[in-house]
Amino acid sequence: MKGYLLKNYGLNKSPLAPSRLTLGLKRVIKNPMYYFIIFGIIMLIIGNLSVKKVLPYSLSTGLATTFAYSIASVGFCLLMGYSGLASLGTGGFIGIGTYSIYYVMTVANLPFIFALVAAVGIAVVIGAIVGFISLRIEGIYLCILTLGLSEILRNLFVVLQDTIISSKFYLFGNSVQRSSGIFIVTVALVIVMIITQNIINSPTGRAMLAMKNSTSAAQAMGVSLMKYRLTAFIICTVYASLTGIMLMIVIRAAQASNSAGFYALITSLNILAAVIIGGYRSVWGAVFGTFIMYGLQTVLLSRVQFFVDNPVVITFISGILVILVVMFYPGGAAQLVREAKNGIKKLIRKIKECRYGKDI
Amino acid sequence: MAKIFDKLTARLIETRLLKARQSREWTDTELSELPVMQERKTASRLSAKQKSLNNRLKASAFKACDKEEYIDELLSDKLRRYDVRHFMSYRAAYHSAAKAVFKAQKNGEDHDAALDALAQKTAALDGKRVEYIAKLEEQKKKFLEQNPASDDAEYQALKEACEKEFDEYKAETEKRGAEYVERRTAKLRSKREKYEAKEKELRAKVKSDIELPDDVLLRVENLKMYFGGLKAVDDLTFDVKAGEIFGLIGPNGAGKTTVFNCITRFYNATGGNMYFRNKDGEAIDLRRFKVHDVILEGISRTFQNVELVREISVLENLLVACTRNYRSGMFVQALGIPTVRREDDILKSKAMGILKFMGLENYAAWPAMGLPYGILKKVEIARALMANPKLIILDEPAAGLNNTETAALADTIVKIRDEFGCAVFLVEHDMSLVMSICDRILAISFGKTLAIGTPREVQSDKAVQEAYLGVSDDQDEPAAEEKTDAAEEQPDATSGEEHDATEEKADAASVEEPTEKADKNAESPKKTVAPKKPAAAKRAKKTKEGE
Repeated sequence: MKGYLLKNYGLNKSPLAPSRLTLGLKRVIKNPMYYFIIFGIIMLIIGNLSVKKVLPYSLSTGLATTFAYSIASVGFCLLMGYSGLASLGTGGFIGIGTYSIYYVMTVANLPFIFALVAAVGIAVVIGAIVGFISLRIEGIYLCILTLGLSEILRNLFVVLQDTIISSKFYLFGNSVQRSSGIFIVTVALVIVMIITQNIINSPTGRAMLAMKNSTSAAQAMGVSLMKYRLTAFIICTVYASLTGIMLMIVIRAAQASNSAGFYALITSLNILAAVIIGGYRSVWGAVFGTFIMYGLQTVLLSRVQFFVDNPVVITFISGILVILVVMFYPGGAAQLVREAKNGIKKLIRKIKECRYGKDI
Repeated sequence: MAKIFDKLTARLIETRLLKARQSREWTDTELSELPVMQERKTASRLSAKQKSLNNRLKASAFKACDKEEYIDELLSDKLRRYDVRHFMSYRAAYHSAAKAVFKAQKNGEDHDAALDALAQKTAALDGKRVEYIAKLEEQKKKFLEQNPASDDAEYQALKEACEKEFDEYKAETEKRGAEYVERRTAKLRSKREKYEAKEKELRAKVKSDIELPDDVLLRVENLKMYFGGLKAVDDLTFDVKAGEIFGLIGPNGAGKTTVFNCITRFYNATGGNMYFRNKDGEAIDLRRFKVHDVILEGISRTFQNVELVREISVLENLLVACTRNYRSGMFVQALGIPTVRREDDILKSKAMGILKFMGLENYAAWPAMGLPYGILKKVEIARALMANPKLIILDEPAAGLNNTETAALADTIVKIRDEFGCAVFLVEHDMSLVMSICDRILAISFGKTLAIGTPREVQSDKAVQEAYLGVSDDQDEPAAEEKTDAAEEQPDATSGEEHDATEEKADAASVEEPTEKADKNAESPKKTVAPKKPAAAKRAKKTKEGE
């Protein structure tokens, strides 16, 4: 049937001009940027429902914490997956944001924008320093160095003020409740994801990938190692310090000497594990991995009595996940999803072949 | 103090000059790609128009067509689908019957019952098929009743109208496109003039005291590169002329790659000078440039082992070489402002042109990971071409390629030289390639010049023969001796200094070995030069005439 009009009248086989609606939908489906916005809207709705206690309230805190850490994960994904550098200093970098917001807003009583500028400014300086160092040191030694830097920062925080509590938080003159932190965090995460995706798809992302594959080839193609390594580290540090700010909005208190707190090594390791589980070259993977590491416990497993009684099991689960991922899916959850997509496409094609014959 | 100030101002002027030059180059790229892009845009617009017109025609075409033929085709397709769907039921029936028959034979019973069952089943299925055909016939009748045959006139009239409309649209679009190109070109031209004037003004301020003859592109003077006590390159002097293919040969560990790395600034040379005539025709001192700035002056290189980005597509790999050409900064890129996409489009169009030139346009969307080695080597050369180089440095382009691929590569290199007007400087072990395409060859051994000249001169040189084949005494030594360390690129300080004649023997490529030996025995250089390509033969003649 489809051949007849084409054969005798030279007409295209497309049945009807696509409607405006389908065209618009296609545009949304083809542009990955819209996915981030849709994700943000869905999360805002879930947060709203949770704050209004239609859904359980713990959902909102769990998601807010996850998204706050996700910002750091996305930065780390850019650093590790695209620039081929590694860092264990995320914990210390988170502290920069937390302390700058505490000192600027609670102690000095200045508006939020100053805290943001201070946090970003300090993060840029420290990121630049680490970036300079990364020109000389690579691999495991860079990890050790950033770990040391992170510990120095943590001890500095202990000396400055061990426990910080900022009970009130103002945004544009309005007091923000702890429960509505989820909205700010979600918006921040969506913005960060969009910016990161833009960087990944831009010449900068390509230059970073070239640098990761071979420094000499990248240099021969005009990629300045200093510029791009510095950029990668600055982005990672700024994102981590943004995480600090968001955590302060959500949790409002932190203790530097606590070995399981924000600034400890465990945070850096968790974020590393999150990026490995999710897939180190995917923004979505980073967010998913962070959800496994931070959100699973509060959002899902807290409903099961067994996990409430034995919280150690959750650590076991994440550890086993990391081992499995490294052994079987080095690309992480992102690779899994990609392969599943291809598998489904193949299956559909096979079913069609079975049903209608091969030439269709 | 004043000296430092002068130096700083000179640096400032140089950076501003570079910026102006890059802007000018960008407008050049845009100017050259503008018509190509506009053509593509027009074509896509026209195809969209055609599609919409076809959709309008469709209803009347249906009215005009032969209804019986139409419905026959539709129903036969339906029947075919039905057959495909029910093939499995027939198969199952036969399968179960065969099973029953085997079982009956095993037990020594009669198997007529099974065959009867099969006949019944197939009869039922056939009956179903007949029913379906009857249903289709009914459908056909109904369809013909509902859609009586109509005449062709309406369709023809509409078709003519559509064709007319399409022609009008085509003319209008092309006219509008041409107008746009004209307007934009004029704008870009004026921009370019502005940049050029700025460049001229700035260049007047830059003082250069380097003297380089007009036809010399790269001059290396007394180049020295010492690794501790090891003299990898020792007092090397040569010129590469504009538009020539210059070969660098030598046994393993002779320091060929070190020479390349010195020129492209990966190594900081211990001594000596390197001068280069850059894209603007200015003589520059290469030692003042950083590794990642060399490409902006017009030197681009490939690597011995393919060094592409495996995660991204071939086309995007080519764009990596243009990272410095983008006019938009990192912030603009991060915010995803459409200018970046426009610049991307321009560069992609340029990259597609180069891929077409290399015969790789079908691989543009493929990821670089998993492509054959020969293709990747070509992609790397294409990437080097993206930077509009004056000098391309090829580090063993034929390594790992078979004979056919090597012959194709020789053609490609000559074509690149002719088309892009750039000089080619290559290191190669495959003597057939080097001897057939190079205009001049430099042979080195342990960092020192052995011979320089045309391929034939180098081939008949005594020192070169000694370095490759050893002195005539140990000609009948076992072949195992010929395999000196393959990894002698950077030998230890001790072993490098105390080498003797036998160590100098390197594994000469098997292709050139017999010719070299024959040359030695018969002492007839005419036989040795046996270029495989007619083009190469022509060039050999030319060089002869030149002498």
